[in-house]
Amino acid sequence: MTEVQQRAAAAVVVPPRPARSLPSRLRRASLAVLAVVGFVGCLRLADVDPIELAQGLPTMAGWVGDAFPPDTTALGTLLLRAAETVAIAVVGTVLAAVLALPLCVLAARSTTPNGWVRLPVRLFLNGLRGVDAFVFALLFVAAVGLGPFAGVLGIALHTWGSMGKLFSESIEALPAGPLEAAELTGAGRLKTSSFTLLPDVLPSISGIGLYLLEFNIRASTVLGVVGAGGIGQELKNSVDLLAFDRLATILVVILIMVTAVDQLSGRLRKALA
Amino acid sequence: MTGHPDPPALSVRGLSHAYAGRPVLRDVTLDVGAGEVVAVVGPSGAGKTTLFRCLTRLVRPDSGVLEVRGRDLVPLEGAALREARRELGLVFQSYNLVRRLTALENVLVGRLAEVPAWRVVLRRFPAQEQLVAATCLDQVGLLGFAHTRADRLSGGQQQRVAIARALASRAGVVLADEPVASLDPASARSVLTALRSLAVDHGKAVVCSLHQVDLVPGFADRVLGLRDGRVVLDVPAARFDAGAARALYSPVPERTPA
Repeated sequence: MTEVQQRAAAAVVVPPRPARSLPSRLRRASLAVLAVVGFVGCLRLADVDPIELAQGLPTMAGWVGDAFPPDTTALGTLLLRAAETVAIAVVGTVLAAVLALPLCVLAARSTTPNGWVRLPVRLFLNGLRGVDAFVFALLFVAAVGLGPFAGVLGIALHTWGSMGKLFSESIEALPAGPLEAAELTGAGRLKTSSFTLLPDVLPSISGIGLYLLEFNIRASTVLGVVGAGGIGQELKNSVDLLAFDRLATILVVILIMVTAVDQLSGRLRKALA
Repeated sequence: MTGHPDPPALSVRGLSHAYAGRPVLRDVTLDVGAGEVVAVVGPSGAGKTTLFRCLTRLVRPDSGVLEVRGRDLVPLEGAALREARRELGLVFQSYNLVRRLTALENVLVGRLAEVPAWRVVLRRFPAQEQLVAATCLDQVGLLGFAHTRADRLSGGQQQRVAIARALASRAGVVLADEPVASLDPASARSVLTALRSLAVDHGKAVVCSLHQVDLVPGFADRVLGLRDGRVVLDVPAARFDAGAARALYSPVPERTPA
């Protein structure tokens, strides 16, 4: 080895780990014990009981047997309900996008440096995001009655929060320069942000919109359980009536629907990138 | 050229600024007349960038006067500052174009203040404004690229679009901070030619910091040399020769961090 090679070799040798002091070892050990105790506590709280699962298995195997052959007599109705589910997700997502667009500008640090405006807007969006669409739907069923409209409102409110947050994050990821250059002309916030931010942020927010649409279609499949329309209603009825042959058809319809939408949306997102 | 009959477009008196107690600018004084090009040169760390941040009032200088067309920008804040800044056109090292807008639309950014909001949102600019923008693009030799997206243009072309944007705005003073630092020599020349024409053909006052002193001849009327935060040189460009440049850039002993 030449001298240069030797020096280079010496430089890449990983230095030995320094021996840990006793207090630092104790701290690490106690953290590990705490983690194990915590997880055991969670197991107890969650009533995890493998024996009950084992005892339940034969019953479930019986259901799987009952599911064949699947009952396709009501296929027309099921497809209509599946379309209703897609419609709930589409309308809810679009509504959320319309509501989120103005608010994301107010929630992004680069466009709204004033914390007295930005932080309350963020708090509001986080509040919406924190409540699941399912919970909102439960409330709206009580307020506007049974049916898909309650589902639309539930999806829209929850997605409004998620979208506002994700949109504002993609605004913050943009370089600040073009906006600064536009603000220097003395033009107002609406003009500068719509003209200089929107074009650059559009690909990423369309991607987010499609992603949330996929997510919402999956979320909409269970909305019917609380009476907020869609194929979830059929799902619940079949389980209640122990009609597992019909349930099998419903699950297949859901699977095909979700896969088709994911594929389509994935392709659109790839085209946008 | 000596003396200006008109009051200077940009007048800086006794500008000083310190970061965390360390003085970065010391008593900088500078007058730039309409139609004049001043090049700011000096070694790294001389305070060029801080000077530009003060001139654009991104930073409020600790003391001094910064008059743009007779109005002091130093005490201004909020809406009054925004309004006064419209007199300033900025050209940045990183161009700062909206990548997915066309060259023409990027020039229209300079006209945003003059166009109603609904037209901006719908991207329906009045024909007259589009004509102004097209004329500005023509001035920098890029009319043929009017409908090309900014991110498809070369660095030099993008910087010329940024100059056209400054031209389209109503700014009387154009400040360019290292506009050619990341460009090859030929592109740098074409950018500086476009920048100089803002002064010569349109009567704007141009202040431009440069890293390479060999670009000064043929571009600037005057050279301002900064060193250690002080103006150590303020001469007509013709008198800024190799000797002056050497003296300005002669090595100083490196200060070790305290």
